Amino acid sequence: MRHSGRCPSPLNPDLPFQLSFPHPTQPQWPQSLSNLLSMPSLGGLLKKRRTKDSQDLGKPDSQNHDGSGASMQPASHASPQHSGTGTHENAASIDNIIHQEQPKQERVTKGKYSQEDFELQRTLGTGSFGRVHLVQSNHNHRFYAMKVLKKAQVVKMKQIEHTNDERRMLNRVRHPFLVTLWGTWQDSRNLYMVMDFVEGGELFSLLRKSQRFPNPVAKFYAAEVTLALEYLHAHQIIYRDLKPENLLLDRHGHLKITDFGFAKDVPDITWTLCGTPDYLAPEVVSSKGYNKSVDWWSLGILIFEMLCGFTPFWDSGSPVKIYENILRGKVKYPPYLHADAVDLLSQLITSDLTKRLGNLHGGPSDVKNHAWFAEVTWDRLARKDIDAPYIPPIRGGQGDASQYDKYPEETEHYGQEGEDPYGHLFPDF
Amino acid sequence: MAQNSAPDLTPVINTRAGDKSASTPKISEDDEFEVTSPTNLTFRQSNSGAVPPRHCFVRRRGSWPPLPGRSAEQGFPTNYALGRRTSVSAESLNPTEAGSDSWSPPHHPKTEEQVSRLKSAVSSNFLFSHLDDDQSLTVLNALVEKPIPAKDIKVISQGDAGDYFYIVEKGNFDVYIHPSGAVQPGPDGLGNKVASIGPGGSFGELALMYNAPRAATVISTEPKSTLWALDRITFRRILMDSAFQRRRMYEAFLEEVPLLSSLKPYERSKIADALDTIKYTANSTIIHEGDPGDAFYLLESGEAEATKNGVSGAVKNYRRGDYFGELALLDDKPRQASITTKTDVKVARLGRDGFKRLLGPVEGMMRGAEYELDSNRSPVSKAA
Repeated sequence: MRHSGRCPSPLNPDLPFQLSFPHPTQPQWPQSLSNLLSMPSLGGLLKKRRTKDSQDLGKPDSQNHDGSGASMQPASHASPQHSGTGTHENAASIDNIIHQEQPKQERVTKGKYSQEDFELQRTLGTGSFGRVHLVQSNHNHRFYAMKVLKKAQVVKMKQIEHTNDERRMLNRVRHPFLVTLWGTWQDSRNLYMVMDFVEGGELFSLLRKSQRFPNPVAKFYAAEVTLALEYLHAHQIIYRDLKPENLLLDRHGHLKITDFGFAKDVPDITWTLCGTPDYLAPEVVSSKGYNKSVDWWSLGILIFEMLCGFTPFWDSGSPVKIYENILRGKVKYPPYLHADAVDLLSQLITSDLTKRLGNLHGGPSDVKNHAWFAEVTWDRLARKDIDAPYIPPIRGGQGDASQYDKYPEETEHYGQEGEDPYGHLFPDF
Repeated sequence: MAQNSAPDLTPVINTRAGDKSASTPKISEDDEFEVTSPTNLTFRQSNSGAVPPRHCFVRRRGSWPPLPGRSAEQGFPTNYALGRRTSVSAESLNPTEAGSDSWSPPHHPKTEEQVSRLKSAVSSNFLFSHLDDDQSLTVLNALVEKPIPAKDIKVISQGDAGDYFYIVEKGNFDVYIHPSGAVQPGPDGLGNKVASIGPGGSFGELALMYNAPRAATVISTEPKSTLWALDRITFRRILMDSAFQRRRMYEAFLEEVPLLSSLKPYERSKIADALDTIKYTANSTIIHEGDPGDAFYLLESGEAEATKNGVSGAVKNYRRGDYFGELALLDDKPRQASITTKTDVKVARLGRDGFKRLLGPVEGMMRGAEYELDSNRSPVSKAA
């Protein structure tokens, strides 16, 4: 499959990084390491150190065959199932771990994890169907985010298809700005998805605290989102729920898009109304059938919100008013916006599909080549080789969830057995 | 501001060197190399000397100075909701394939007078105002009568899942909102009365978009009332199926246009997305001979004819599925004939500029294929 070349299966214990989780006694690097950042020899140096410390004799190259930067994912991209409990007979053999080839097949995660593999910690967020917990792997002691969806609620809200799509799409994607799904399972009541714990919290929280972002800051985040959308669309995936709530900051301040609840394989056109009211494109509101260009509309709304602190079609009255505003399509650009930003926004937030950037002949390049993004070096950005404007104040790798808001905890005990009337509806979990 | 809350901890040294070429060993993880440094966040800026600075187009400090934020002078909306926004979704629907037996919209007969009253009842509603006549009629026909046999019946309850939209035929209904977001038990559980709805009024339209909790409670105030009801799935199916049929029609029509024959399916799909439907009454002129050409037309329904100055009678007749003006996609040479409608006509229009924006330079679109000017099929646009 498309990604297998550089997607290590988190379920396969034959992964070089499975032994490379940070050792508690690992020495701290001196601060002067920062001076080495651009030195050509650094890669070799790091490799050596790493090999020594972690016994990682694996294949550091194996994860990045296409040079897309996928290897530069944060450390939480290690399999939560370090020892491959129960499912891989050779799991305990270090020889196997070190010497076997990278799996070339598509990641198959079905049934690999269970509640016993993880220690439940606090809630990171809640949604219509369930919640997201911070969890710690009982195998490698790393931290992950575990999304729990109540099957009954998913069925009641008629989101079976979207939920199965979420899992399928997440399984297909591998990109530095997209959250990684490591595995799933289900019990009689819930679906579980284990993903990266992205430590810096939601961009939403940062934006609300900041009220609005300076032009270059908004530009940085917008540029990373643009690359992620370009990637998704190139894989025929429409995302459909862009908003600051779904953008997480990793420990370095780079973005990760999360929540693929509406992501779908859409080669041409699709029909289901979904998204978030403020961010819906007019062709979605008017039930016309729509294509991937709705994501570019939403990017426009996102950039507007980052620059202004509010969305352009918002109305205090009701969602109906918002939809009327969206269909009317009149945007009032505050005077403090940079002229280039206004120009870009007016070409994203347009109902005319022959004018909406991203949907035109040049595709995503039209967005990337816009004057507002002039100073962005896209290839370096794709490698996360550009400093983020804000580094979340967290301690990396320690399950520091301080950047996430607190939510009332659920008392439900996960992993219950019993009647499972809906299990068959979610065959991929 | 965010930076004020940041402890003076540097969680990160970014170890990603600029050189990430294929020959560089790849590092799949980097937390081994991260330090929790007691220094501030600016150390990277001291990175100078022989090492070229890493590219950065924003400030490198942890954060940025406060911006004037949420004041009305800054254009900030009053009462802006700063909380997280919930995603919404309708049921996943897929179009009914043509020829498949499955679904046809419900049809509840109504008098002409009823239909026209219902039509005016929804005319200002954003969900109905953009429907074309066919869609509108199908939707109105699908409304089902719902008698409300007593006073004090809750038609909808605040907080409940909403599946139906209602138009009042007869009677009066009161609208209550409880500040808690849902009906509460007890005598004041409905909350405050905020409005009253009489004949011709409507409520619950959000339920036609997605399953959202009802924002209010609506309760009957008379012993006998009548409502018209429409559920979301019926509404959305009608819209989707009609849009889907139209789109299939467009794509089929477009396939017949020789000039566009070299397009890939996704390019044709893009054009189909961007076509505008325009209606003309009988005896209107769509294209004037001699005008610069700027758009291409597909005839969706009705009949039209081409006439030329100095030639008596029609030089060509057009019916559903025919097209004209396609050479305007290439350049703005004057139209070679006029196109006049013989009946009410619906056309789908695509302007040259939009066409080029979608598909790029015409030369590329042609892909070197010789376009045979088929004067027999399209006399109007034939460039001399």
